[in-house]
Amino acid sequence: MDNDELISVLPIHYSNSLSPNVHIHQFPLLSRPLQTPPAAAVSGKRIRARIKPITRRLEIHVPVDPRPEVWNGERSKELGAARQEDDREKNQDVGKMKQMEGEEPRLIEVRMRSELIPQEGAYMLGVVRNGQLHMQPISETHQFRPTLTYLDIMSRKSRRSRGDAGSDEDSDDGPPPDPDEPPPVQTASKKEKKSLEVKEVQVSARRAADDKGNLQGGLSAVRREMLLAIRAEEDEVWQDLDFCDGETAEGHEVFEAVFSRNEEHLECKSDITAFLKGIKGL
Amino acid sequence: MEDSRSTSNADASSTPSGTPGPSAPKAIGSLAKKPSDVTRQGSQRLKFVPTLPSRRKKEEVKQEAPPPTIPNASTDRGRGRGRGRGRGGEGRGAAPRPPPVEMTASGPFAMGPAFASTSARRSAPRSNFTPIVPLGPGNAAALGAGLSGAAGPSLKREKETIASNVLVEKETKSEVDDDYYSDPDEGVEIIDMENVRHMDWMAPESLRKERREKKKKKVIQVKIEDPSSPLGLKKKEEAIDIEEVDLANALDLSESEEEEELEDLIDDFALQGEADQDADVRQERLYFFQFPEPFPTFVPNISSTSPTTMSVDEPSSDSRPRKVSFAADVKPPGPSGDPAGASTGPETEQTKDLPTIDGVIGQLEVYRSGTVKMRLSNGILMDVTGATQPSFLQQAVHLDLQNKRLHVMGEVNKRFVVSPDIDTLLHAMELRDQAEVEAMPIDDTNLIQMD
Repeated sequence: MDNDELISVLPIHYSNSLSPNVHIHQFPLLSRPLQTPPAAAVSGKRIRARIKPITRRLEIHVPVDPRPEVWNGERSKELGAARQEDDREKNQDVGKMKQMEGEEPRLIEVRMRSELIPQEGAYMLGVVRNGQLHMQPISETHQFRPTLTYLDIMSRKSRRSRGDAGSDEDSDDGPPPDPDEPPPVQTASKKEKKSLEVKEVQVSARRAADDKGNLQGGLSAVRREMLLAIRAEEDEVWQDLDFCDGETAEGHEVFEAVFSRNEEHLECKSDITAFLKGIKGL
Repeated sequence: MEDSRSTSNADASSTPSGTPGPSAPKAIGSLAKKPSDVTRQGSQRLKFVPTLPSRRKKEEVKQEAPPPTIPNASTDRGRGRGRGRGRGGEGRGAAPRPPPVEMTASGPFAMGPAFASTSARRSAPRSNFTPIVPLGPGNAAALGAGLSGAAGPSLKREKETIASNVLVEKETKSEVDDDYYSDPDEGVEIIDMENVRHMDWMAPESLRKERREKKKKKVIQVKIEDPSSPLGLKKKEEAIDIEEVDLANALDLSESEEEEELEDLIDDFALQGEADQDADVRQERLYFFQFPEPFPTFVPNISSTSPTTMSVDEPSSDSRPRKVSFAADVKPPGPSGDPAGASTGPETEQTKDLPTIDGVIGQLEVYRSGTVKMRLSNGILMDVTGATQPSFLQQAVHLDLQNKRLHVMGEVNKRFVVSPDIDTLLHAMELRDQAEVEAMPIDDTNLIQMD
């Protein structure tokens, strides 16, 4: 390291002026920038976002490219109807969605839902400007994936159409299907073709499972917690957000805020040994 | 016939040569395996049966003779058996060279690269209608690779919106590298797989081929922060492997990675003087740094009882973003002559524990060898290394709940991992331990001090 020549030195500025609002959004299934397809932008659609602040869940709605070469219009009508129903069930209606009168709802956007990812260590966002590195802390990391929950509705519809549509089935769909109990759903699909009685069997089977769960105590408590959390999330109201791309004036202002204004050197209160000591369990 | 019999065990059997069958026709033939019927290995010897004329046609390849009549059978028989000797009779009638087989392409890869973009409109495989291309023996595997002569479906030309505003990894290939295909016929469009990306806005990403010999000349347009900013300018003359690594989903631990990192930072450092920056387009690239917990706390120089347990993740006021724009007017925290040490100062009107920290905390040192170190105050030395670069989109956003806005600050170009420099760390631990030892009062004389 002796002959290691120092090439350049950049002072590091640190500012937490924008925290805790700086997030990182990751889109694991996307490899291109998030933007409205030109064909959809022509018709005025743009990316929208909404958030549930308490549960920290975001949704970003990206319009799709509706050209016939790459988009199946007929299918989008089916899926659109399914999504509308799904929205109604889960209380996440996009109230602002305008529909033409008399026309079926179409699938016009891809909904990306966020998952909060735990952060390992402290994350910083750094920007280099004028030979200086400016850093801001990142508070949350979200990963976005498209939600396809409307497909559940569709499969339910197709199953329903095979047997008699009964109101029993609606009531069954309250709690989400238990991952430990796949059989009820499968047996229903097999037996629905036969008769209506089978549905009653399905209902009773689920109830029995619940009783079993109660007897076990701890297991069901965890499950109940999870169900409660899901319920609470569904009950929370979405807050709409303006999705501002990088080129807006407000975005520019925010970006400028990343840079620290102060030239003064800050004193450090912790020692490098804090890193070792900070390791839990060591 | 004699030659075929020569391998038989000339044992007790007194079989007259050339006459297969039981040696002595008795009333009831013995069912035991005669030695003449069994080869030396013990397998059942095939008995020669005169072939039917129709089956002889396969031998036409070798023999120009027309289907032989019975008198000719002897010669054929001999030949067939001669061939059959080595293979247990199996080879009889089979031509040594496979006859030309007519192969037709079918299946999803039938059309070769030309089919890649029309997966959505796949109808009946066109191979049914295309003329069957007679392939020479052994060339069947090259069907997909070679486009010469293979007819693909005629494509309607997709809308040629060149997707310039996307994450495009462009390669400048010299002319020599371009693959040459034969001229298309019958209205066929030949599309290079690598250029599929350019066909349409919705076209899928094309995987990049590894071109080792052209590494240095490659121009890669790194993930563009803003759609319209031509960041590729900065990278024109450099060889970069990182994006290639991304797409190949491989972790490249070669040293070249660090060099590029060095060049990265130097690049930005050197380009600070670039004047032609569009106001709307931000040329600065965003970097992601991962620090170990706990991030060291920083306070302004004049500090009193400001909260010291502040870590990065604690929330501060929501109205900060709006305030920052007025930071120039507001007295900065902890100025040199301010005795009050009010680091919170006039910035926090609310009762918040968290002051706004703003200032220089250290410096980033870039060395010629490629190592990058971060020297923070209080003797903290950290190594900066490149992290695994994800191949997907990452955006840094700012969430403004007050104004109900979600600002996209830009795409994160590179990730770095910051770790404490081990030598410094160990040294500091040693010092600390020594200090503790000295500070510890020895009150028990029975204690044995170990050195």
